[in-house]
Amino acid sequence: MVIVLNGTQRREKQEYFDRLFSLRYQIFVKGRGWALPSVQGPLEIDQYDVDEAVYFFDLDENDEIRGSVRMTPTDRSSLLADYFPHLIENGSSPRSPLIYEATRYIVLPARTNPSGVRLGKARLINAVVEWCLGMKLSHLQAVVDTATLSSFVEMTHRTMPLGLSYPYGGGRGAPGGGECVAFRWPITHEVLNDVRVYGGLDRAQWTLPDPSNRGSIPTQPVLH
Amino acid sequence: MAFEGDTYGQRTLDFVERLQQLTEYDEICQHIMKEMEWFGFSCVSSFSIPGPGENLKASIQLNNRPQEYTERYVEKNYVVHDPAVTELRKTIHPYSWSDIRKRRVLKKSEKLIMDEATEFGARDGFIIPIVTISGSAALFCPCGLEPDLSPRARAAVEIIGIYSHHALQRALVHKQREEAAHTPLTPREREIMQWVASGKTDDEIADILSVGTSTVTSHVENAKKKLDAFRRTYAVVQAIRSGEISL
Repeated sequence: MVIVLNGTQRREKQEYFDRLFSLRYQIFVKGRGWALPSVQGPLEIDQYDVDEAVYFFDLDENDEIRGSVRMTPTDRSSLLADYFPHLIENGSSPRSPLIYEATRYIVLPARTNPSGVRLGKARLINAVVEWCLGMKLSHLQAVVDTATLSSFVEMTHRTMPLGLSYPYGGGRGAPGGGECVAFRWPITHEVLNDVRVYGGLDRAQWTLPDPSNRGSIPTQPVLH
Repeated sequence: MAFEGDTYGQRTLDFVERLQQLTEYDEICQHIMKEMEWFGFSCVSSFSIPGPGENLKASIQLNNRPQEYTERYVEKNYVVHDPAVTELRKTIHPYSWSDIRKRRVLKKSEKLIMDEATEFGARDGFIIPIVTISGSAALFCPCGLEPDLSPRARAAVEIIGIYSHHALQRALVHKQREEAAHTPLTPREREIMQWVASGKTDDEIADILSVGTSTVTSHVENAKKKLDAFRRTYAVVQAIRSGEISL
């Protein structure tokens, strides 16, 4: 089940957010060794965890987080614009009210079961794209480690790179380092369908009953 | 502020945009090979690493290396010892053949494989590792005499390799599905797949049918193609689903 919460609900839904920030700390700070600027104890919280941020939580039957992604409106909060503008080589602006940015993308369990991970990715991203369609956005964008770009292209060949990859954190081989690349997805029903096919999602796992349903999706309630 | 990229960046973005519009396998191959030539890569290979008992030829998506070289490579099963391939066990990041030579001293058998590649016009190559949908490894490998392996060229070819692999895979799956829709299994293929479903190896089936193992393997490979399956077990599932065999 995927639920969507926004940044203004951090106090109201503190239990979910504390678990998410703790998970992010374990994965990004301890696991990947990223030197993140704002670590509050064992919780990873940064300057993009703002009221306008929208959080997708994929919860299992025990209410445990098995996937998550944060979406921010790029006209106000954009990692790409602030830290990685050099990743854009096609002249596009990294900021637009019609573009949201996906960051802190997590799908568990990592690398233990390829088909389970694929389903987990699809379940989460399906909800994100449905939400973006409901918000009538033009694109979502992301900065990812180049080693993971293939998995997004595999989800949809409509994945459009914005430029070539560049080293971060000392480059490949350095602790916490690697190479990153920026891409955009157009927010269309074709992309949504690509994600569903990739994950083999059946209709019971969709939010929108069919691709022709263009009704808006509320930002807050349970998606499915 | 965003900035306009150099030729490497612009070419790569143009390449991807064009590739996204192509659906025909042959067109995609031509588009990839032409782009690789600009970087000084005269040949391109793209294939999934075959699993135990699987044939390399069946795993190839694209290959325009000289036929004589390819036949020798397959016949000698070089894929098991080729340092350009075995390096995949150590890294998920792209590397060149010359990087491997710098990292370690090659064994005699490894050096032989690389020397043979040079004899056939490929002195250096660039390997882009790709994890496939099934979780197995694939690689995209352009090679040539004096390819451009500058940092920007590497960054460009990495993106090109990732997109090319997936475009080829999509086109091949589409092609195989179309062919499979019109190509039922032959009686012999059906009979052999029935034995495969009962758990027999190619050797055992060859004994039962009094034919050569290579003949059995060939029938199994043909059946896999028709059933749109990369693995034997999945081919059995597909054959049962389509009513070609029963348990």
